[in-house]
Amino acid sequence: MDEKEMFVNAYKTMVLARTLDRKIVTAQRQGRVGFYTPTMGQEALQVGLSMALEKDDLIYEYYRDVPFMLHRGVPLETLIDQIMGNSMDNEKGRQMPSHYSAKDYNFMSVQSPVATNLPLAVGAGYAIKYRKKKNIVVTTFGDGSTSTPDFHAAMNLAAVFDIPVVFLCENNKWAISLPVEKQTRVEIWKKAEAYGMKGVKVDGNDLFAMYEVSKAEVERTRTTGEPVLIEAVSYRMGPHSTSDDPSKYRTDTIKDGSDGDPIVIAEKKMKEKGYLTDADIEKIKNDAKELVDRKFEEREKVPPPKPETMFLDVYEKPTWIIEEEKEEIL
Amino acid sequence: MSSKQLNMVQAINSTLDSFMSRDDSIILLGEDIGKDGGVFRVTEGLQAKYGTERVIDMPLVELGIVGMAIGMAVSGLRPVPEIQFQDFIFTAFDQLVNQAAKMRYRSGGSYTVPMVLRTPYGGGIKGGLYHSQSGEAYFAHTAGLTVISPSNPYDAKGLLSASMKSNDPIIFLEPKRLYRSIKSDVPDEDFEIPIGKASLVHEGDDITFVTYGSMVPLVVNTVSKNNLNADVIDLRTIMPYDGETILNSVKKTGKVIIVHEAPRTLGMGAEISAFISERAIDYLMGPILRVTGPDIPFPYRLEDYYMPNETRILKAVKKLQEYK
Repeated sequence: MDEKEMFVNAYKTMVLARTLDRKIVTAQRQGRVGFYTPTMGQEALQVGLSMALEKDDLIYEYYRDVPFMLHRGVPLETLIDQIMGNSMDNEKGRQMPSHYSAKDYNFMSVQSPVATNLPLAVGAGYAIKYRKKKNIVVTTFGDGSTSTPDFHAAMNLAAVFDIPVVFLCENNKWAISLPVEKQTRVEIWKKAEAYGMKGVKVDGNDLFAMYEVSKAEVERTRTTGEPVLIEAVSYRMGPHSTSDDPSKYRTDTIKDGSDGDPIVIAEKKMKEKGYLTDADIEKIKNDAKELVDRKFEEREKVPPPKPETMFLDVYEKPTWIIEEEKEEIL
Repeated sequence: MSSKQLNMVQAINSTLDSFMSRDDSIILLGEDIGKDGGVFRVTEGLQAKYGTERVIDMPLVELGIVGMAIGMAVSGLRPVPEIQFQDFIFTAFDQLVNQAAKMRYRSGGSYTVPMVLRTPYGGGIKGGLYHSQSGEAYFAHTAGLTVISPSNPYDAKGLLSASMKSNDPIIFLEPKRLYRSIKSDVPDEDFEIPIGKASLVHEGDDITFVTYGSMVPLVVNTVSKNNLNADVIDLRTIMPYDGETILNSVKKTGKVIIVHEAPRTLGMGAEISAFISERAIDYLMGPILRVTGPDIPFPYRLEDYYMPNETRILKAVKKLQEYK
């Protein structure tokens, strides 16, 4: 893939993710979807990092990584099935929307308690190192996660054992209602130094900058086996979730389509570089809308999981206790 | 069949050694488990034999030990994390409850956590508040976790061997008071004690004792010494417990005493008592009694009063003997 093709593909993914975001938020308001954590605003940083990765790299993602997943080839159907919790969902409808699993694409299973994926990423990296493989682990989290003991534990362990993990802090400046200034007294990337790890800061709203930094850091982690903390500064353009009303605690500074929107920034650069014209952009947006609308309608028809499936996968084989409870309930 | 007289520390150590020699996906990680061999010396010699990559001396962070182990397990290794004292596990509780226990379920079966978490538990060693707790009920209350506690060296080998082959996360509670106080004949060759099956360690007709782990020798000794005509059930697996063996015995004797050292309220005794009353109340000739630790933190100087003992067990027996 040449550079133009690579960036056009990246841009298309950003638009697709944004389109899906709008669709799901509307569907939630209509009562067709239970819940959602919009990704709006974090498209460039996720796609920029994704561009620098290989297929066999492992991703311990968090619940706001739709563009990342789409860029690595996770089908739109997989994401919508999870959001619907239908019978085709990889997780059999067990988790709230936004908590994806996609093993075929090396995406882990998303949990709600923030940052608890980070120590797991270090363990996965240990396994890679132990088996002398060449792939790396990426783990993602928000700015709020940097206050947790899990962040501290994972950063320290990755540095102590020289584990090939890229820690991507998606600093969207808000942890529900708490601004990052009240989350921590120092810039997040600087925390790396205290662990003996490299830390870098990048404008996460700029796809091109994000790709440049990611490419260098991923390459470095792959060759040296050392971890890195990347702070991608961005902005959560939407609410934390569909259950949250940000007007209670902030005035939005970047809005869908306004100056500072990573998609707007990308469009400007793509046009400057001659990668896309206004007509191309319009077509990409229309295609995305048509695709998302069609897939959403299609997946909405998939039936819910059968009740007996809720008793499976607690253990490899259901215990007698679970079997009895199933008999009683169904 | 060759065998050796081993204590529990030796039985666990040799079992780990045997599994590690055959399977390089087994990794031990914990605090002071390498050079030092663990504070109870359970992993003595293993780092020298298998190297620092397979027997990892971890920084002092329980949630990191458990979290890393989960990540290893998901990536195809078979980690055996050690938490130095079960009392220290609580910062890792989120990892156990929300990651290890739910991984298979939440990923629709695509990711699994084959991990055996070993940890010494229980009192009677003058350990005070933070080196004596029996937290089995916390783990047993979490769907997705399997909770096991051996009561002697033979069972320790058989249960650990079965655990090492399980594809689900296991909490392996080692009764530290019994680590070196009893020996049993342990076969050199491999054998497994199936998970979920109890053992009838003493047989009789008048009364059923249900117990596990650290309390088993106390109950058996009390029964033998006082010539009680009693069944003694060693659960071996605390969750899922062996309901069938319990019911069969209760239907025969009609009288039940549950013994554990964990505090009484909402301990395993409460669950087992409810289980029996739901299914065998017509067979009962008296109340289901519990002899347990009290609902207080574990005291240092006065621990002898905390621990269930022969006197308290006999008091319960006497009370039940009034029901004819």
